[in-house]
Amino acid sequence: MSSLAQFTQQKLQHKSILAMTHVVYGYPTVDESLAWMTRLLEEGVDFIEVQFPFSDPVADGPSIVAACHQALGQELNVDTCLTQLGALAKNFPESRIVLMSYLNPMYRFGLKKLAKRAAEENICGLILPDLPIEAAQEYRQACHDKGIDPIWLVTPATPKERLAMLAKQAEGFLYCVARSGVTGQSCHQNKTPNTELDSYLAEIKQHTNTPLGVGFGLRNKGQIDALLGKAEIAILGSALLDAYNQGGQDAGIKLIKSLFD
Amino acid sequence: MQSNNGFYGQFGGSYIPEILFASQQQILRAFEEAKQDPSFLAELNQQWQEFSGRPTPLTFCANLTEYFGGARIYLKREDLNHSGAHKMNNVIGQGLLVKRMGKKRVIAETGAGQHGIATALVAARLGLECTIYMGAKDIERQYPNVFWMKQLGAEVVPVTTGAQTLRDALDEALRDWSSSHEESHYLIGTSCGCAPFPEMVAFFQSVIGNEVREQSVAQFGKFPDRLYACVGGGSNACGLFLPFVNDKEVAMVGVEAGGKGLALGEHSIRLSHNLGAPGIAQGFATMFLQDDHGQLQETHSIAAGLDYVGVSPIIAHLAETKRIEMTYAMDQDVVNACTLLLKKEGIIPALESSHALAGAFKDAAKLGKDQHIVINLSGRGDKDIFNVAKAVEDDTFPAFLQSYLASYPIREQGE
Repeated sequence: MSSLAQFTQQKLQHKSILAMTHVVYGYPTVDESLAWMTRLLEEGVDFIEVQFPFSDPVADGPSIVAACHQALGQELNVDTCLTQLGALAKNFPESRIVLMSYLNPMYRFGLKKLAKRAAEENICGLILPDLPIEAAQEYRQACHDKGIDPIWLVTPATPKERLAMLAKQAEGFLYCVARSGVTGQSCHQNKTPNTELDSYLAEIKQHTNTPLGVGFGLRNKGQIDALLGKAEIAILGSALLDAYNQGGQDAGIKLIKSLFD
Repeated sequence: MQSNNGFYGQFGGSYIPEILFASQQQILRAFEEAKQDPSFLAELNQQWQEFSGRPTPLTFCANLTEYFGGARIYLKREDLNHSGAHKMNNVIGQGLLVKRMGKKRVIAETGAGQHGIATALVAARLGLECTIYMGAKDIERQYPNVFWMKQLGAEVVPVTTGAQTLRDALDEALRDWSSSHEESHYLIGTSCGCAPFPEMVAFFQSVIGNEVREQSVAQFGKFPDRLYACVGGGSNACGLFLPFVNDKEVAMVGVEAGGKGLALGEHSIRLSHNLGAPGIAQGFATMFLQDDHGQLQETHSIAAGLDYVGVSPIIAHLAETKRIEMTYAMDQDVVNACTLLLKKEGIIPALESSHALAGAFKDAAKLGKDQHIVINLSGRGDKDIFNVAKAVEDDTFPAFLQSYLASYPIREQGE
């Protein structure tokens, strides 16, 4: 079992579900985003998913797209980001930081170098939503060599055989997308009927003991409660960003407490 | 040109979010079956002929040939397709595939608007719902096309993120597809995107080059010595070039948009002069205009249809392997080429196609009189009337617009 999965199992002895909060690095500024991450860690969130911005984030909805585009008004550097996250990871050993981005900035940085630097900075997981597992042989090897978990995504539209394959390959945790579409409140009407979330998660559970993280569209306590016993991690992205945009850090913390306390 | 599992050398592939995997596989299977199904190919041919007006002619330009005093100049007249551009070839093909897959809605992105118009036309003919994403800046530049899309029953969604051009429209179309893939098909307009789109679009566009093979032999007894096409996404270039790819005696020249200058953000040159770099975005690997940190960059061209940050993986591969020569034309050269064709041959070219003209005109005088060159006139220039009027500094056009506007019954908001 990977250290990330072990961390999750240990934490679950005292909590019914873990919170993974999403932060866009560099939004609204680098310093502000680091201050927001520090506050989240001080408040005891279990995971922070840090998104390194990309100019063309195709799996994200309007809130995160706007934050990424604003963040890119500054020149952002992957290596500096990793160093800064490393300092946070060192100061808050009771939490874990995972890095999420799209392939091109990481490909440009170098995927082997990414795994090496992530390991050096105690970033224990990497999420690249536009890197399919079939095209990821070298990346996976680099991650394994450095003890980093590459996190894979599954969705309600993933065919059953592929779902089983991805679940069996899961390391750290499996990121289960709750519904079709992009993150957050999409401007696109979601006309696709959702696969029943319970049976979807139960189906995944048949193939893996790796913890399940559920994200995309989580906004209220009812949704989080509905995951208890069925998933290990609830991922809060756009809703947290929207709260932060409306009322700053305090509003974000208030939302987290209302969902997870 | 068949891919190796979706790859052309180091370019191509399928780098899409997991949510799109099943839909991508469905398209892959449907295309593989359809292209070998005689009934599908027969229907495709029939629609090309009856709806779009194929085959398009190969027109000899006697006046231009005399003017340059070198190679004999021919134009492949894709501007004479219904909708006024080569876009129709691909849209009819994918439209029929959508019906075959049993889907009822198409999503498309458009830059200059030609692909949007073509998609809206075919959607109307085949009874499909249609949503078109278009950068807000492109909407301003190409409003007449937007008007027609709306009249055809399409929903036109302005994209206000990023630079508000084609690339942003493409991202937004991908997001829509992620949300609606079970009922919608993303009808990509150029030979870009995840596999099998580059191969599929090139397959449908290859009708251009296949016709040129027959027409050139019939009209001047051999294949052309040189082919010219503009390269934005690369669909018209793939269409002209690919049927000749194994005919080594035929040289091929792709012309990119040099825009206002070679500084980043002022042009759309991905392949010439090492200005692009290998990258993976928007579902595929190709040469992208990007900074040192892998962020895609803004682009510019006087022709909205060439204003794209990436390029077809097929064209990137052919350029890397030196099978095609890549060059570029600056905005001003493009306008000059456009007006020269107007005055010498009585043909109104699109600004996109005028890049190919500019590239060919640079070479024409240097080539021998026994050389035959074919320039792909990918679209007609009606849509560019406002931009060309501005570029040639026509004094009477603003006066016309003002007087027309004065007579236009503008309603108050909320009326």
